[in-house]
Amino acid sequence: MSSEHLVKGYDEELRRLNNIITEMGGLAESQLAAAIEAVVERDSDLAGSVVEGDAKVDQLQRDLDNLALRLLALRQPVARDLREIFAAIKIASDLERMCDYAANVAKRSIVLDQWPPVQPIHALPRMARLAEVLVKEVIDAYVARDADKAYTVWMRDEELDEMYASLFRELLTYMMEDPRNIGPSTHLLFMAKNIERIGDHATNIAEDLYYLVHGTPLTQKRPKGDNSSFEVVNPGRTGA
Amino acid sequence: MSPAAMVATQSMPPIPNRSTSAAGLRQKVQMHDVNFYYGAAHALKYINLTLHDKSVTAFIGPSGCGKSTLLRVLNRIYELYPGQRATGEVLVDGENILSPGLDLNLLRAKIGMVFQKPTPFPMSIRDNIAFGIRLYERLPQSELDDRIESALHRAALWDEVKDKLKQSGLSLSGGQQQRLCIARAIAVKPEILLLDEPASALDPISTQRIEELIDELKPDYCIAIVTHNMQQAARCSNFTAFMYLGELIEFDETETIFTHPKERRTEDYITGRFG
Amino acid sequence: MTPYARRRLVNAVVMALSVAATGFGLLWLALVLWTLVVEGISAITPALFSQMTPPPGNSGGLMNAIFGSIAMTLIATLIGTPTGILAGTFLAEYSRGGRFGEAVRFINDILLSAPSIIVGLFVYEIMVVPMGHFSAWAGAVALAIIVIPVVVRTTEDMLNLVPNALREAASALGAPKWKVIVTVSYRAAIQGMLTGVMLAVARIAGETAPLLFTALNNQFWSSNLNAPMANLPVVIFQFAMSPYADWQLLAWGGALLITVTVLFLNIGARLLASWSTFKP
Repeated sequence: MSSEHLVKGYDEELRRLNNIITEMGGLAESQLAAAIEAVVERDSDLAGSVVEGDAKVDQLQRDLDNLALRLLALRQPVARDLREIFAAIKIASDLERMCDYAANVAKRSIVLDQWPPVQPIHALPRMARLAEVLVKEVIDAYVARDADKAYTVWMRDEELDEMYASLFRELLTYMMEDPRNIGPSTHLLFMAKNIERIGDHATNIAEDLYYLVHGTPLTQKRPKGDNSSFEVVNPGRTGA
Repeated sequence: MSPAAMVATQSMPPIPNRSTSAAGLRQKVQMHDVNFYYGAAHALKYINLTLHDKSVTAFIGPSGCGKSTLLRVLNRIYELYPGQRATGEVLVDGENILSPGLDLNLLRAKIGMVFQKPTPFPMSIRDNIAFGIRLYERLPQSELDDRIESALHRAALWDEVKDKLKQSGLSLSGGQQQRLCIARAIAVKPEILLLDEPASALDPISTQRIEELIDELKPDYCIAIVTHNMQQAARCSNFTAFMYLGELIEFDETETIFTHPKERRTEDYITGRFG
Repeated sequence: MTPYARRRLVNAVVMALSVAATGFGLLWLALVLWTLVVEGISAITPALFSQMTPPPGNSGGLMNAIFGSIAMTLIATLIGTPTGILAGTFLAEYSRGGRFGEAVRFINDILLSAPSIIVGLFVYEIMVVPMGHFSAWAGAVALAIIVIPVVVRTTEDMLNLVPNALREAASALGAPKWKVIVTVSYRAAIQGMLTGVMLAVARIAGETAPLLFTALNNQFWSSNLNAPMANLPVVIFQFAMSPYADWQLLAWGGALLITVTVLFLNIGARLLASWSTFKP
């Protein structure tokens, strides 16, 4: 934004809004990274600290809601300012959900440690890395108010969806091979789903950012790479 | 696209367009290349815009941008003062009201105006309203009384003055006086109502009453309102015109102007980056 | 001395001087009134109003003079007021900064402060000489010429006080200009305009010089407007300069009468102005 408001306090409050989003975004990235590390390294202590760290993000979202409400009531924002505040509220909500998912992954990793390591687990860090990239890129796009960058993130989620779909198939096969694998595989499945949801929320943030910048919503249909909802499994047939 | 996704798009209902679409409304007033001069000063520059019937158009802009001047062109009230002139075309229902031979008094009976400062005449409340009616109509007493009563009803003033119609119009409070002026203006059944900052001299409650009144009048009149209070423009109007230094910068549906205006200057003004 | 104390001292000194000056002015006014009352009160009898001006050495009244004054004042007002109001309306409503209006205003201001004896001489030349005799008509015309500038001035001033917004509001309803003036401007300014008329009447009630050359005087009762007519100012002039005690007493009575009338007119004008229902 080139010019400043005549009332300086208004700009300060909008900057604070900005800063909270940036902080939450950073936390989303780090929480996810720590959660995956806890899975791979089978580190229960790290997982525990991720779970505890989620409280901080919740508090930040509450702070942002309060600030946004205050701005709406006291400043009567219009046009771009209104879109800023509206987007901030939604993005904070998405970021908070993302951190929840990261905490869920951490929680499940503690459970997963009961079993010996399972083979499909190697796919998870790959997914998580892509998810982290999506989060980082979308937050960078937000800071720069770059709608084009947001659009790129928006499109890239398809890749994450495809990774999830293939992991899904792999886990199904794995479970069919040996019923003893069902326990850990199910947890892995949920973790993978959480990471995939993180990607979806990143696309939500991208859409909110697009609306903020352009004033019209992104109405294109997002390409979805996840057809796992339609997977049909026939016992006895492997690698469908 | 997966079958489920296709089904999802088809069954999702379209978002209803809440704002009044310009397509459904008749164009009541069209201004073509209107210029206005206070002596040598060029106050309005090549104004082109349309006022739609049965809707409210708000004019916003910083002081001195020409919004009041534009309003005063529409009923040619500037003709009272020498040295002020307008050029261009203003078509009301297709007829150019800037043409020299036009009967100004008849024009002004068709286009009503309410001013910033309440201006009740030094007469009784009843006579205030009857004044305009008596100018061009010969009504029997009972019909006149009915017209006065209905005008006061529409102006949301009847209940407060029905027992004191004979009292002077000056005995009312500021908000009541302004509603009296509005009642006086609508009693002559104009087609167009011009409101020049009608609530700027009033307290917040009176202001809200006036805004409610404008809302009620909307279905029957083409209303143009000048206001320096942007929130009022946002609340009251269907269309908003942003003016700056005598030019029309942007004209669009109010919702668009206040959520995503097209012009940088418009956005800067309404968000308080200059003013 | 501290600056504050010095300021207070200066304030006190100037205050004292102002009060003294006011007192000085009021003193003379009080003396005049007192003198009038003391000398003239004994002349205020019913006879004053029922008997004619007597020949020297006799007692009598001032009825013919009172009648003459009232008659000529009334006619002068009837002639001067409409003329003055219309001219004032022209200046306020029709000529905004026009050259002609400026000229009219200028001439009006000159007339306003013209010595009344000049007015009298003027009317003498244009009316008395051609007619061949003095008359009440001439007296009334002379007084009217004094009334007109006053009424023009106050009418214009009062009409200028009416806010333009009011006129615009009436025009915006489609009222033609004359209607705006009559129903809105006049009604708004009526108190002020009436005040102006009253002040003009108060002014001519005591004018002597113009009547000297126009209506002259009349010892007897006369209601013939075409003949010289008695009037209070000239009677006072005549009686006061005489050596007869009766006449002098009547002169004091007449003076008191005029003073009281003018006083009432002025007070009435002020009351009217403050009782105005028009709040700008």
